[in-house]
Amino acid sequence: MQRTTDFLAKSQETVLVGLSRRGDRAAFAELVNRRQAWIRNLMRRCSGNSVLADDLAQQVFMQAWRSIVQLQDAARFAPWLKRMAINTWLQYARKGDPLRNVEDRQGFELAHHETPGIAMDLDRALGTLAEDVRLCVVLSYYEQMTHNEIAGFTGVPLGTVKSHIRRGTKRLREELAAYIETQEVKS
Amino acid sequence: MSTGRDPQLQALFASAEQEFDASAFRSDVMARIDAQRRRTVILWSLLSLFAIAALVTLASPVFEAFRIANQVLPVSLVDIETDWLRQAVSPVNSVAAGIALCAVALHRFYLRIFR
Repeated sequence: MQRTTDFLAKSQETVLVGLSRRGDRAAFAELVNRRQAWIRNLMRRCSGNSVLADDLAQQVFMQAWRSIVQLQDAARFAPWLKRMAINTWLQYARKGDPLRNVEDRQGFELAHHETPGIAMDLDRALGTLAEDVRLCVVLSYYEQMTHNEIAGFTGVPLGTVKSHIRRGTKRLREELAAYIETQEVKS
Repeated sequence: MSTGRDPQLQALFASAEQEFDASAFRSDVMARIDAQRRRTVILWSLLSLFAIAALVTLASPVFEAFRIANQVLPVSLVDIETDWLRQAVSPVNSVAAGIALCAVALHRFYLRIFR
């Protein structure tokens, strides 16, 4: 058992994906282990709510387990997972849950206790943006995606993506002025 | 390949990235996957049971209906004594053909009235 765990921990991601496609739970658990921080951070930046973000991230991995058989190219696991995460967030955002704003506020408060400093302030600043603007900004700054890629992933027209990012950047600079000034002083 | 990113904000995003407790999260995901698999197995078992019960209950009436249809549908509408003529009109001279012609006529009537 220990030998299996060691083998999986040392294996390349493509090997883990191949094993997971054959129904190997341990291999998939190792994939979760490796990719969880990325997806949880992405969901946290999108939702600003640590509890909701973890729940959505879990949903992403559950869906990945269900559909990993359909993944043809094991080397494309990361972009495939990212697309799944973005779709999960978009589905949640479009549901129009009437209690969502209440949850968000509670989430932001919870995040204050759990995440000190910059992550907390960044999430709070992102929380001031409209959902579609926030998603474009997060995909641009956190995922390093180009405008074209964001338009392709989200289905938002390219011009709208550009204006969302421009507007979001301006707003974030205002909200996070203290941090940006500190950076300017340091440099 | 346009990005239009503000370098200072980009640095803030990079420094805000957090580390998490991976093992608890992994356990939660695997537990939810197991629970979902159990639910699926239970659902399929119930559906199979329901299908078997329906099959057992409805088998007799369905077979009876087929038997009656088999007897009634080929019955001739008009008795024709001449052999060759009976053979020639047999495709339209039966209860089944009558029902089919009525259905076609009703369909045409419906199209004429409502389109």
